[in-house]
Amino acid sequence: MAKIGVFVCHCGENIASKVDTGILVKSLSDHPGVEICQEYKYFCSDPGQETVKRAIREHNLTGVVVAACSPRMHETTFRKACAEAGLNPYMLELANIREQCSWVHSEKDQATSKAIEITRSLVEKVKRNNELKPISVPVTRRALVIGGGIAGIQAALDIAGAGREVVLVEREPSIGGHMSQLSETFPTLDCSQCILTPRMVEAIQHPKITVMTYSEVEEVDGYIGNFTVKIRTKARYVDMSKCTGCGDCIQKCPVKKISNEFELGLSNRTAIYTPFAQAVPNVPVIDKSRCTYFKNGKCKICEKSCQIDAIDFEQQESVETIEFGAIVVATGFQIQDTSVYGEYGYGKYKDVITGLHFERLASASGPTAGKIQRPSDGKEPETVVFIQCAGSRDPSKGVKYCSKICCMYTAKHAMLYAHKHHGSNSKIFYMDIRAAGKGYDEFTRRAIEEDEADYLRGRVSKVFEENGKLIVRGVDTLLGKPVEVAADMVVLATAMTPQPDAKQFAKRIGIGYDEYGFFNEAHLKLRPVETAKAGIYLCGACQSPKDIPDSVSQASAAAAKVLGLFSREQLEREPVVAAVGESTCAGCWGCVYACPYNAIEQKDIRDRNGNLVKQVASVNPGLCQGCGTCVTFCRSNSIDLAGFTEKQIFAEVMAL
Amino acid sequence: MGIQEQYRSEAAALLSSGEVKLVIGFGAGSTADRRRPLFARTPDEAQKFVLDAACIANLSTYLVTEGLLSDGKKVAVFLKPDGIRSINILISEAQLKPEQVVILGYAIENGKEITPLEGRNISDFSIGEQIRSLTPPPHILQEAERIEEMSATERFEFWKEHFAKCIKCYACRQVCPMCYCRRCIVDVNQPQWVSTSSHTLGNFEWNLVRAFHLAGRCAACGACDRACPVNIPLRLVNYRMGKEVIDAFDYCAGENSNQKPVLASFKQDDPETFIL
Ligand SMILES: Cc1cc2nc3c(=O)[nH]c(=O)nc-3n(C[C@H](O)[C@H](O)[C@H](O)COP(=O)(O)OP(=O)(O)OC[C@H]3O[C@@H](n4cnc5c(N)ncnc54)[C@H](O)[C@@H]3O)c2cc1C
Ligand code: SF4
Ligand code: SF4
Ligand code: SF4
Ligand code: SF4
Repeated sequence: MAKIGVFVCHCGENIASKVDTGILVKSLSDHPGVEICQEYKYFCSDPGQETVKRAIREHNLTGVVVAACSPRMHETTFRKACAEAGLNPYMLELANIREQCSWVHSEKDQATSKAIEITRSLVEKVKRNNELKPISVPVTRRALVIGGGIAGIQAALDIAGAGREVVLVEREPSIGGHMSQLSETFPTLDCSQCILTPRMVEAIQHPKITVMTYSEVEEVDGYIGNFTVKIRTKARYVDMSKCTGCGDCIQKCPVKKISNEFELGLSNRTAIYTPFAQAVPNVPVIDKSRCTYFKNGKCKICEKSCQIDAIDFEQQESVETIEFGAIVVATGFQIQDTSVYGEYGYGKYKDVITGLHFERLASASGPTAGKIQRPSDGKEPETVVFIQCAGSRDPSKGVKYCSKICCMYTAKHAMLYAHKHHGSNSKIFYMDIRAAGKGYDEFTRRAIEEDEADYLRGRVSKVFEENGKLIVRGVDTLLGKPVEVAADMVVLATAMTPQPDAKQFAKRIGIGYDEYGFFNEAHLKLRPVETAKAGIYLCGACQSPKDIPDSVSQASAAAAKVLGLFSREQLEREPVVAAVGESTCAGCWGCVYACPYNAIEQKDIRDRNGNLVKQVASVNPGLCQGCGTCVTFCRSNSIDLAGFTEKQIFAEVMAL
Repeated sequence: MGIQEQYRSEAAALLSSGEVKLVIGFGAGSTADRRRPLFARTPDEAQKFVLDAACIANLSTYLVTEGLLSDGKKVAVFLKPDGIRSINILISEAQLKPEQVVILGYAIENGKEITPLEGRNISDFSIGEQIRSLTPPPHILQEAERIEEMSATERFEFWKEHFAKCIKCYACRQVCPMCYCRRCIVDVNQPQWVSTSSHTLGNFEWNLVRAFHLAGRCAACGACDRACPVNIPLRLVNYRMGKEVIDAFDYCAGENSNQKPVLASFKQDDPETFIL
């Protein structure tokens, strides 16, 4: 005999103002199987929970319905209370009369009758609940970090620092990401390389970190605690175990006119190259598409120049499959292709460059050794115009969002220019100056007050060339007047965008993304480093535009989540998993295709003599996430989901 | 030698060589214009096969009989293009192994002429193009268009009138090659999703569930339609669902045997963002 306890919560005024809880209690008290029905101001409070526990003990309740808020809010709370009172926690149901009732209705009597129906249907469901036990699964205490920018490096170092193994996968030949391209960094103006390189070296030398460069994640299978990941490493054609990084091969390579990606085309590189001087690992790669030997079978000059035979033209790409317990995604960002702004003349005039180009020009290790020279003729510019929001906050052509870092780096650029070139004259077109952050507003003030950056509030309509000058035409909205500036160089504060392959990547590993391709967190405020897929975490600019301090903090936060997970050897999982009725399964494999978690396998049914009778579907409870997709697909109704069985759902629906 | 004789001797040869254990074809029926299925296990029995314009049934439905193919042996079957199409669907739903089916294909031209179809294995028949352009007979098509033009209320009344007649004999299900489930949803009584008695609501439930279950799977053979003792134009429902699936997913069931079930699979490049 069912003995159900129903507990109606007022949630302060949240529920009680729209639902007549007295009527609700009265109506449920008369419902068959309801042993006790009570109301209270806050059942989630300590005394509230005590009431529930006492009722369970005193009335020997077989099931509990708490009519309150969403299960996402307090299911765990009340499950715990049930367990403490000796009732199986899965004998609890939360009837959501807040989000799905009181909050969305204005008529009290209608809301009340709806609340009655909702609660009644859950009473009918809970009568058919079964006692379930959590499934415990082992945790592989090794983490995968995807992306070797500052965010990925920081996450890897933190996890490894706590003694756990980490594999750091970077698709470029070196780790470092965008930070390795920056000159000095706001708001302190310390040299980017100087603070980054030690971290890169620490990562590669760390006994617990395996750095896999030139590698990409190809496939992710499994679930929290137990991911199986396939990683493909491209052939470098240089033996990493032998190469000392002397660079003789690079000196000798005859193909010298390849546009250098790291320098954004501001200088050239050879076919065998390291992307930049401080690269980690400091081992060159051969660019197969440009190498003379790979093109026409002759050359191998690098091989001859290498004293220790580290060059290996026979090297093949390799694929490794590794088990992980957690994954941190730190794949970073790209800058927007500014050529969509024809009016700014990017791509047309050599001296219209992006902020990232400027970083390279200002960098001591850059193509001009830190001298600001314009790309067209190498002259030092007398007047530089900076255009902020060149793509950001522009729903028509660019991106809707604010890229967050551009105000700051533009101020930085104006400062660097002033420090490097006396008598500098920088004009900055801006919409707003957004400088929220520790030391940020002071930083921009300094650019204006000490380094004489001239801020003009307004948009630029056109940049064109006239008498060897770049004429920047715009409006100064504060003066309400059109302005024209004759500049020697124009720097665009280009928007930060997701990696071009971000959406495909997200699909491959099974995480969500927003309309732009930035990866989705589980909750923007309360779970900002988790994804909706348990065991996969986010950090850095792959989630949204971020500067270094934010990227690093988020990386440490993600590492903390991973370490929390790794603090246990076993993981308790919800027992809400599907199971197939083998006698009725027709073996159509519809569910096998439909399952988004690849949790369903084919299973042979044999007779006593070992002859195959038929094949049926079989759910791996370790992989099943309890989404129920397979249940809805199966035509022969052969799959049922524990905790949400057809009988339960049917009773719930019929009670409405 | 006429086509009937040619096919008889072919069937006999398949049996005597031991290549197949059974040939499913047509035999004489109770009246001159009816044929009934004939299951030949010996070359002698194969001599009784009839092949003429009255052989319209889709015999592929017998291939999914429980246990028939579990010994791994081959079976030959007489099939029209719609039957071949259902073989493709059954293969893509793992109900048949292509190598276990020998097809004795034929077509009926203008409702009278029998012409042989080249090929014996499912891979010999490239019927994709043909199937996409395959439309139901003109009178069915006219009827489909007529229903399409009705208002929603009229259309509901039309089907209500028809479904009200259903006696829940499940002949439509029994005859359909795609209704191979060992236990049909209507036989589930814990809980009883579809009520068993044949009142209008229960009939609606049954006929609509069946329509959903056949969406993107129907071979348009018309067997259900012919089997229905109370003449419910069932294939109109399935024709309409098929059209819907072609429009929505560019997927035409049974074009080939490499298809994945349309409602169970998704494409990596699906433009819908809700797919992870
Ligand atoms: C012009 C400019 C100036 C800036 N100046 C400053 C400044 O002064 N101060 C400051 O705080 N911030 C500054 N920033 C911001 C700073 O660059 C970022 O905050 C920081 O680089 C973000 O780090 P990240 O690791 O998230 O991303 P990234 O640096 O983009 O690193 C991501 C890494 O992941 C790798 N990757 C991508 N996809 C994959 C994949 N599928 N598999 C494997 N690896 C992958 C990439 O190759 C890359 O190495 C500036 C940015 C720009 C554009
Ligand atoms: S969908 Fe149903 S019938 Fe088909 S394989 Fe899965 S459980 Fe079996
Ligand atoms: S409920 Fe079914 S579809 Fe969902 S994860 Fe489990 S097995 Fe896969
Ligand atoms: S064959 Fe006709 S009467 Fe029989 S169940 Fe099907 S629709 Fe109903
Ligand atoms: S639903 Fe009817 S027309 Fe379609 S395959 Fe089945 S029997 Fe043939």
